[in-house]
Amino acid sequence: MTDFEAYRASAREFLESVAGEFGKDARRGLDVEQDLALGRRYMATKYDAGFGGISWPKEYGGQGLTHTHKLIFDTEEAKYSMPVVYFGISLGMPVPILMHYGQDKDFVKERIVKALRGEEIWCQLFSEPSGGSDLAGLRTRAEVDGNGWRLNGQKLWTSWAQYCDYGVIVARTDPTAQKHKGLTYYWVDMKAPGVEVRPVKLAAGDSHVNEVFFDDVRLEDSQRMSPVGGGFAVAMHTLMIERYIATDSAGFGPPLDVFVELARTTDYNGRPAISDGRIRSQIARNHAMRAGLESITARAMLMMQAGMEAGPEGSLNKLVAVRSRQRLSELAMDLKGQSGFAYSEHNSPREDWTNSWISAPTGRIAGGADEMLLNTIAERILGLPQDHRPDKGVPFNQIPA
Amino acid sequence: MSILYDEGQQAIATESRRVLEARASKDRLLKLLTTTGEVDKPFWDTAVEQGWTGLAIPEEHGGLGLSLAELGLVAQQAGAVIAGAPYLTVGYGASQALVASGVAEAQAAWLPKLAAGEAIGTVAFAEGTAPLPANPKVTFADGKLTGTKPGVTAGITADVAVVLASHQGKPALVLAELAGVTRNAIDSYDNTRLYADLVFDGTPATLLVEGEAASTLALDLLARMAVVTAHEQTGAAEALLFTARDYALTRKAFGQPIGAFQSVKHRIAELYGFVEIARANCIHAAASEGKANFLVAAADARISATDAYDTAARDTVQIHGGIGATWEGGLHLHMRRARSLAVEQGNLMFWEDLLVDHLGEAA
Repeated sequence: MTDFEAYRASAREFLESVAGEFGKDARRGLDVEQDLALGRRYMATKYDAGFGGISWPKEYGGQGLTHTHKLIFDTEEAKYSMPVVYFGISLGMPVPILMHYGQDKDFVKERIVKALRGEEIWCQLFSEPSGGSDLAGLRTRAEVDGNGWRLNGQKLWTSWAQYCDYGVIVARTDPTAQKHKGLTYYWVDMKAPGVEVRPVKLAAGDSHVNEVFFDDVRLEDSQRMSPVGGGFAVAMHTLMIERYIATDSAGFGPPLDVFVELARTTDYNGRPAISDGRIRSQIARNHAMRAGLESITARAMLMMQAGMEAGPEGSLNKLVAVRSRQRLSELAMDLKGQSGFAYSEHNSPREDWTNSWISAPTGRIAGGADEMLLNTIAERILGLPQDHRPDKGVPFNQIPA
Repeated sequence: MSILYDEGQQAIATESRRVLEARASKDRLLKLLTTTGEVDKPFWDTAVEQGWTGLAIPEEHGGLGLSLAELGLVAQQAGAVIAGAPYLTVGYGASQALVASGVAEAQAAWLPKLAAGEAIGTVAFAEGTAPLPANPKVTFADGKLTGTKPGVTAGITADVAVVLASHQGKPALVLAELAGVTRNAIDSYDNTRLYADLVFDGTPATLLVEGEAASTLALDLLARMAVVTAHEQTGAAEALLFTARDYALTRKAFGQPIGAFQSVKHRIAELYGFVEIARANCIHAAASEGKANFLVAAADARISATDAYDTAARDTVQIHGGIGATWEGGLHLHMRRARSLAVEQGNLMFWEDLLVDHLGEAA
């Protein structure tokens, strides 16, 4: 353990030394573009200090350490509110998938290092207007074009696409096959001719998601990352990472001690709210739930370190954490009462209960809606029957629209 | 950081499951429900024969010297088969009180017998609605114990009890032999818990610990017993999860297994979440024994395990429909046990308060 404690100390030392330049205070009042620019400088500084790609292989520019090292660094980093949100998806799913399935090793390594340094950002182009949960029902098509492919169609809910250099995309290559079997996985240059990005404003007032249009976009066959017709399996691999990396027991809302502090300092019926039984019960239940999720994550890390496969209970994280964050945020707003009506879309959902509340629905939908996660637990873990699916076994082009 | 079970611990889990499943009998448990004061003898004989009674008692006192983690694993299996003898938890509490007291004579008199299962020990802390009264009404003076402890687990059959009493206006833990004590047996909704009101009337007793140290030790003992119970609750909730799953796979309605309906399958998937969170908290709590965060970890385990077992009992009965509500079906055994275990070792309100008090202080 001393090795990990020493690592934690060195992580803290680094973070402390750059907190003034990149942390919470430095970010105050910046608009998104300025914040992103600051974030890019932070990522480069972090990489140069040896804290980029902590658990990735050295041959790809990573540090070759364990998942536990990465978890330690992430835990410490989260305390400083560094501008890293723009790189979370990029480094979370598309780049690891590129590392796993990319064809040209030199190209892959160059992309990884640039992504780690914040010079390039990757997005994940999965959902479409006709379906997010029903991913295999997607309609964007890639057709053979000489020795490459031609891409046409539309994606939706693509996070940070407006700032991205590359993306990973699933497209239909055979509409006469059953829906899961006619898909192929590629990477795509987001600056290529024919790619158009339009931001979508969300309920919270921010616009981090986008519509992305593809109009005769040329793809080389070297951009293909799955066998032709084998894209669904790679997409599933991507989603499994996505559900597992949501390992924040707060569901990316404020930590529980922020709520405890609010309850201690808020007066209700002439006494601190923390002495009210209803508030106490919610604090206790949330603590027990979050402690359970943290213990699940800690055990998963130990298992991976021991070379074992982590248990399927990791899939509970996003499902349980975001739902409860939504309710706790509502309770915090109740506690603040009339003094809590102020709102700014620039506040962080990790620090502000109102921002946490209004952005929580995104968390319950993105990366697998609650209902899809329950289906996955029921079907994959417990062996319960699949839902009735009238489109099963039917060629895609014969499914009634 | 939580632990991963080592090979020895995994073997204890597998072996205790094998032994208990082979000897479990729903009919036997149903019959016991209608009797007051009868213990589930086959289970208890198994526990003694397997050495579970001495699992967490130090070797120098005739036990195996293992920890809360191992006892928790056995309790998990006991919960899964609704084991009908309540001694694992309260016997553990009594023996740990003796170990912590350092009173050599009492240790020599009782620990080897408790370890061997030749004597039954219990714990009598609660009074009124307080699992841990600050000023117990039961008093200890001149070596004698006076007053009533209500609803003591295993009170009908225990040979010896560790009692939380007032001694010269301060709390004390004392050891009382129960041979001459009046026991008012309670005809309960969960009869194999062997609940009785213990009426002490000048009963000779031995002082174990007094003052501030007695309060601290009583809370620590209650927390450790709560962690054992949390394992039992988790094991039972997991058994119910599989019972619900199996029924949903075989029972058909509207031309398909009911498990194909999302209203049913999602209910079962939610149970999986309750069970896994409770399990994770139990493992963490057992691994935190003796550490500074133990009380918080124990409260987390207790709260999530109580929630898991109550929810699993409620929902599994619902998924079974009419058959779930019958005597024969036996699911009410779990309903009953879920409630008796929820109340023993302090209810949800007690543990929620304790947890929030700790979090409020730390903030």
